[in-house]
Amino acid sequence: MSTNACRSPVDGSELLGYWLGELDATREAQLDEHLFACRACGDALGRLVALGDAVRTLIAHGGATAIMPPEFVAQLKAAGLRVHEYRLPPQGSVVCTITPQDDLVVAHLEAPLAGVQRLDVVIHEVEADRTFRLTDVGFNPASREVVLVPKASDLRHRGRSTQRVELVAVSGGDEHVLGHYTFNHTPHRG
Amino acid sequence: MPNPTVDSAEDDAALARRIIAAGPARDAAAEALLYASLAPRVRLYGRKHLRDAQRADDLVQDVLLMTFERLGRGEIREPERIASFVLGACRQTVIDLRRGESRRERLLKTYGVEIMADSDGDVEPPDTRRLEQCLERLPERERAVVLMTFYEDSSADAVAQALDLSTGNVRVIRHRAVERLRRCIEGAVA
Repeated sequence: MSTNACRSPVDGSELLGYWLGELDATREAQLDEHLFACRACGDALGRLVALGDAVRTLIAHGGATAIMPPEFVAQLKAAGLRVHEYRLPPQGSVVCTITPQDDLVVAHLEAPLAGVQRLDVVIHEVEADRTFRLTDVGFNPASREVVLVPKASDLRHRGRSTQRVELVAVSGGDEHVLGHYTFNHTPHRG
Repeated sequence: MPNPTVDSAEDDAALARRIIAAGPARDAAAEALLYASLAPRVRLYGRKHLRDAQRADDLVQDVLLMTFERLGRGEIREPERIASFVLGACRQTVIDLRRGESRRERLLKTYGVEIMADSDGDVEPPDTRRLEQCLERLPERERAVVLMTFYEDSSADAVAQALDLSTGNVRVIRHRAVERLRRCIEGAVA
């Protein structure tokens, strides 16, 4: 085996599949061998794993904002993160905060998602009069909710403020608001 | 001891020959260089097959210290196949890992401290702030797939189920997203 040359570089997508256990046993054993022989591919896998580690750390420190399926919240809790959860029906509102004990705060936004082709999320920050639109978010219609995961690091520094969130079903040129949700954020008073 | 580099002109086989030639007198510099070269590959193998960073570190120690011991005794006859030998040892050690700590502790006393000082050649993690910015630039669906994939090393099947997508579609989204992230982190346009 040579450690310095790669005669058959492994595609990045297959490397990730290898790492995630998606390959059959034969191909996995072949890649085990190749990754020992080929420094270039070993380094590529190392960079991929380091990226995954960094993403995991960022999530755990509340540094990522996203619209996620409820399964993700279950993963966070199973991993031992302290997740402060709010659950809002359509047109619901809540007084919310983040405490020093919370690793993350998430909001379950309930909505009739059956039949929805594309889902957008519109976030309006009332005091700053700023609006953001997150287009084509991932969702599962069967779950009847999406989960808003804001950056915990931002929440900790936010003063008293209001956010209005809309879930918008998009089909062709038509839009239909499925629900709106109001978050009245209050800084934690320890 | 100076920090050994894995970019040494000497390849693994040449280093193995030096260790064999030194015999009981030991060539500590060659041992350190070979450790630096092989440790990242063994660690990745361990993380892949044991799914535990601490146990992967244990695997690195078990396998490489045993390898040096056998090289020093002249028991490895084909130094040009040293990577194959180490892979075989990894496979066996993963099976045997639970058998106890005493052998590793004995070998650590002989080889551990001086060889392993400053010799971790693993990949540097990406800058957290940069990663945060690059994640924010991803389209929503791609970000959700990346977060779900990396948080628990979830397979495309699991992510597909949570987001009501086909497995093939998740693989395509995942590949595109990881490629975008990689390019963004490296400073190219996302």
